[in-house]
Amino acid sequence: MTNSLRPVLAFSIMAILFLLVGFMQSWSVALAIFNLCLISSIMTLGVNIQWGYAGLFNVGTMGFAALGGLAAVLVSKDPVPEAWSAGGLNLLFAVLVAIAAVSAIVLIFRRMSKGPGRALVLSPVIIIGYFLFRYFFDMATQDIEAVNPAVTGYLGGLGLPIILSWVVGGAFAAGAAWLIGKVVLGLRSDYLAIATLGIAEITIAIMKNEDWLARGVKNVAGLPRPVPYEVDLQEADWFISLIETLHSGTLSAFTGDDRVAQLATLVMQSSSIFVKLCYSGLFLAVLLIILTMSIKALNSPWGRMMRAIRDNETAASAMGKNVTKRHLQVFIIGSAVVGIAGTMLTTLDGQLTPGSYNPLRFTFLIWVMVIVGGSGNNLGSVLGGFLIWFVWIEAEPVGVWLIEVSTTWMVESNPVRLHLMESAQHMRLFTMGLVLLLVMRFNPGGILPEGIQKERR
Amino acid sequence: MRKILLAATILATMTGQALAAETIKIGVILGFTGPIESLTPDMASSAELAMKEVSDSGALLGGKKLESIRADSTCVDSAAATAAAERLITADGVAAIMGADCSGVTGAIASNVAVGNGVVMVSPSATSPGLSQLKDKDLFFRTAPSDARQGQVIAAILKSRGVSEIAVTYTNNDYGKGLSDSFQSAFTAQGGKISMVAAHEDGKADYSAEVGALAASGAKILAVFGYIDQGGKGMIQASLDSGAFDKFVLADGMFGDALTDAFGNDLNGTIATVPGAESQGAKTFSDMAEKAGITVGGPFTGESYDAAALIALAMQAAGSSDRAAIQSKMMAVANAPGEKINPGELAKGLKILSSGGEIDYVGATNVEFNKIGEVFGSYKEMEIKNGKYELISVR
Amino acid sequence: MTDILNALVLFSNFVLIPSLAYGSQLALGALGVTLIYSILRFANFAHADMMAFGTMVTVLGTWWLQSLGISLGPLPTALLALPFAILAAIGMSLLIDRSVYRFYRTKRSSPAIFVIASTGVMFLLNGIVRFIIGPNDQRFADGERFIIRAREFKTLTGLDEGLAIKVSQVLTVGIAVMLVIALFMFLQKTRMGKAMRAYSDNEDLALLSGINPERVVMITWIITAILATIAGTLYGLDKSFKPFTYFQLLLPFFAAAIVGGIGNPVGAIVGGFVIAFSEVMITYAYKKFFMYLLPQSMAPEGMMQLLSTDYKFAVSFIILVIVLLVKPTGLMKGKVV
Repeated sequence: MTNSLRPVLAFSIMAILFLLVGFMQSWSVALAIFNLCLISSIMTLGVNIQWGYAGLFNVGTMGFAALGGLAAVLVSKDPVPEAWSAGGLNLLFAVLVAIAAVSAIVLIFRRMSKGPGRALVLSPVIIIGYFLFRYFFDMATQDIEAVNPAVTGYLGGLGLPIILSWVVGGAFAAGAAWLIGKVVLGLRSDYLAIATLGIAEITIAIMKNEDWLARGVKNVAGLPRPVPYEVDLQEADWFISLIETLHSGTLSAFTGDDRVAQLATLVMQSSSIFVKLCYSGLFLAVLLIILTMSIKALNSPWGRMMRAIRDNETAASAMGKNVTKRHLQVFIIGSAVVGIAGTMLTTLDGQLTPGSYNPLRFTFLIWVMVIVGGSGNNLGSVLGGFLIWFVWIEAEPVGVWLIEVSTTWMVESNPVRLHLMESAQHMRLFTMGLVLLLVMRFNPGGILPEGIQKERR
Repeated sequence: MRKILLAATILATMTGQALAAETIKIGVILGFTGPIESLTPDMASSAELAMKEVSDSGALLGGKKLESIRADSTCVDSAAATAAAERLITADGVAAIMGADCSGVTGAIASNVAVGNGVVMVSPSATSPGLSQLKDKDLFFRTAPSDARQGQVIAAILKSRGVSEIAVTYTNNDYGKGLSDSFQSAFTAQGGKISMVAAHEDGKADYSAEVGALAASGAKILAVFGYIDQGGKGMIQASLDSGAFDKFVLADGMFGDALTDAFGNDLNGTIATVPGAESQGAKTFSDMAEKAGITVGGPFTGESYDAAALIALAMQAAGSSDRAAIQSKMMAVANAPGEKINPGELAKGLKILSSGGEIDYVGATNVEFNKIGEVFGSYKEMEIKNGKYELISVR
Repeated sequence: MTDILNALVLFSNFVLIPSLAYGSQLALGALGVTLIYSILRFANFAHADMMAFGTMVTVLGTWWLQSLGISLGPLPTALLALPFAILAAIGMSLLIDRSVYRFYRTKRSSPAIFVIASTGVMFLLNGIVRFIIGPNDQRFADGERFIIRAREFKTLTGLDEGLAIKVSQVLTVGIAVMLVIALFMFLQKTRMGKAMRAYSDNEDLALLSGINPERVVMITWIITAILATIAGTLYGLDKSFKPFTYFQLLLPFFAAAIVGGIGNPVGAIVGGFVIAFSEVMITYAYKKFFMYLLPQSMAPEGMMQLLSTDYKFAVSFIILVIVLLVKPTGLMKGKVV
């Protein structure tokens, strides 16, 4: 099979899968899966930029996605003026103290030479700075969190349209990536993995416990949407008449009250599909923009340089390439893409729930997508995102069905059968591991391997 | 793009048509996996008990049957929960939903799926005060009282027992944090002192650091707002092991025999609150539940029965299993005026409604909706004596 | 005087003893990680799940023995089931090595490929464990729970503060010490141990001097399987067994191994205790401790807590980052490739 046919075939199979879900379950379900597939693809592209282009082993995807989600809240929710007036001033002091302390520490570090003298000056600065900061900060957070804790109890956001947050989410993730990259990128690959894994956990811990920021585990619900609400559509004249014209055939069979009732049902069903299609349109646009840019970048001189660094760091740096700087660059870009996807996910959910971030789902699953799709290949990442998310969602119903079929000969109450039925959802994890290992072993390039074939070790 | 959009819309509406059938489907969406998986089977069975009673009566809309379609809310993963609800509503075509359980996923399902599709949701256990603010188009109801109320009840119980200082630990999620907030404000408002508050994460094996810090605060009693099969139990275990605390105050998520079975007499003097009442209805329900093999006294079982019963009664009152029709009658069947209906009397209620009469459903938990579709709720105050729970009073 | 005693007892009860037990558990886990790292040269993300697998077999074995009415008296029955669990874990480890890692070893793949493969193994083991025993908390400790209870200690000594020592804590520390001694004897005295150290120091040189690499790798997997199963069982006896909790132990293991100096067995032990003690000490509230030590007038008002317990697990990572920044080779000078 030629290389150009492969993606076409792979994506056609994917399309057939969606059609199957549409006909067998419902179109609403198919579209819901499709939207999450789009988001997964974008996340996968982000990781692929880091791993596929530059060989950076980042397992902190969860943290960047969560930061993106935080951006959605901070941009779109209305500010809470009571909270600002209650604790804003102290918070400002706390920030000032922190800035002063950190700059003093940096100054001492730079000006004084290494030795016991520096440690002697440094330690009181750190200790006093920390306690002064905690003093103002604790007062501020206590006051802010006391403002109507059941509903607000946080500073709120900026009250801007949520679509802006998609950019801000990318910027948040990029900023965090810069900070992290500065610290850990000089180290060898496994260390980067462990450090990013830990930093992702810490990010989640901060989001769970700092209630003044985004209500912590109390969640922020009811984020505004970038698309219309179903209930508004159901009352909009243009939408009703659109459905009326679309379904004139079906409706002509009814008259009077029956027709009105029939129309109302149709409008309600269509509104939910319409909203999902709006989301699909937005997500698809973002995916296409990022995909085009990724493909362009990969084929540019910059992309060639990146691959050269990935394949042989020593040779690349001998050629005068600044490896650490390039790594930092690509780490930031990839993380920003993951952040954007994270913001989109929170937008789709309509709420930020820090407690639901879990490394298996938000980090390792994305990695499976990258490897299975084909690391280094952008189209492959998109395919991996689609396929693996699809399998992840449909593995449960299919698993239950398989167990049901294979145990029909057993009695209803057979303990083995009951146990298997109960454990069906854990097949997900097992399947993912198996798929990953099989692809790595027998098709190391993934389903759509990198165009320029190279012996990867 | 527009063509695809239109085509998809047509296809979707064509396949989405529900056929008028002899059975009416009700969605039961609870966290069959996840943090409260030990509670949900009994809750689902209780709801199905009500559905069976309705079906067996043969009185529903001229002899129709109710069919329960279960789906997993996972309790924590909003994406999975909304996907499951999406399937129930659009693929299975349920008339209404009994659920969801945990507050976070309940909010997600309500605002992302149920409201958009005009489907009534009756949650038996989502207790977060935040849900009162939901923009729900009057589609969201709950038979479990808000935690804002439970916090006040616990504070009042402590006041009556003369407790003036307490340390608090809560499970680090919206339930624990929300309850802890409402308790703290009620307790400090009555002059009590909260010596320390520390969250605990569920699913961690070691809680000695949390217990150590709490013990250092000097309080003699620890309030535990968590889950019985999660970190809440771990906190109690670590407290008993290290001798840090031997008296506890427990909220509804901690109530259950698993605790007394494990620690027995070590817990004597511990106080617990659990939603419920000591009414005739509650008693009838527990008898019925026992016969059906449901753990008696488990949390939220009566609420689940009531949630399912209310949906069926609203259907009958409206004379249709249409989603909007159900919504229009929810309040009417739950509140006065009308004949009082207890558990086990659903057939009687259905008959009164079909003959045009009015009912006031009381159920297992004294259901009475306020204007936003929430119950005020009553709580049982329990105390552990000789390693067993004993009822002290109902508040 | 009693005040000082009270303060000491308080400190031992809430800081010293829990940290000692926790540190031993971390040290055993980190030893496994560090051994794989020094011989196979990759960070094994599946180590915590291998621990869960081994412990699961122990739990099942314990239940089986209990159903037969066999027990160890005051000691937990799990100790009897342990040997079978170790055999199962060794079998599983070798099976995984044959079917997964050996392929990449012959290809001489980069460490990152190994790590990704190990995440695949992690998923597999996660699924298997949950499939067999479910995702819930399992308690399998039996026998006596306490050597001394807090209340008994109070009546015994007349102090205000109690001291509780659990059987599982003593077992943990005791077994860990024995295991570590045995491991070091093996590495220092036996032929195989010397071969392993040589292989770890310089692979090519070791190959030239006639060491069979596959044998070294096999022995390494066997040792790590033993360590993982014992560490997991001890942890489960002390706390409880839950698959997800075990998965989350991975982070502190790596932190301990790297802080101590990855690839260095002594470092893993030091790292385990450093992480355990700092986690507990930084998040402990010292209010009561100082109330005993200081005169009434100077009694502290706040909780005297450096960091909220919410960030307990973050402590290990902050230490890790600091060590990486200041001394990337770790405290005991590990190998950094």
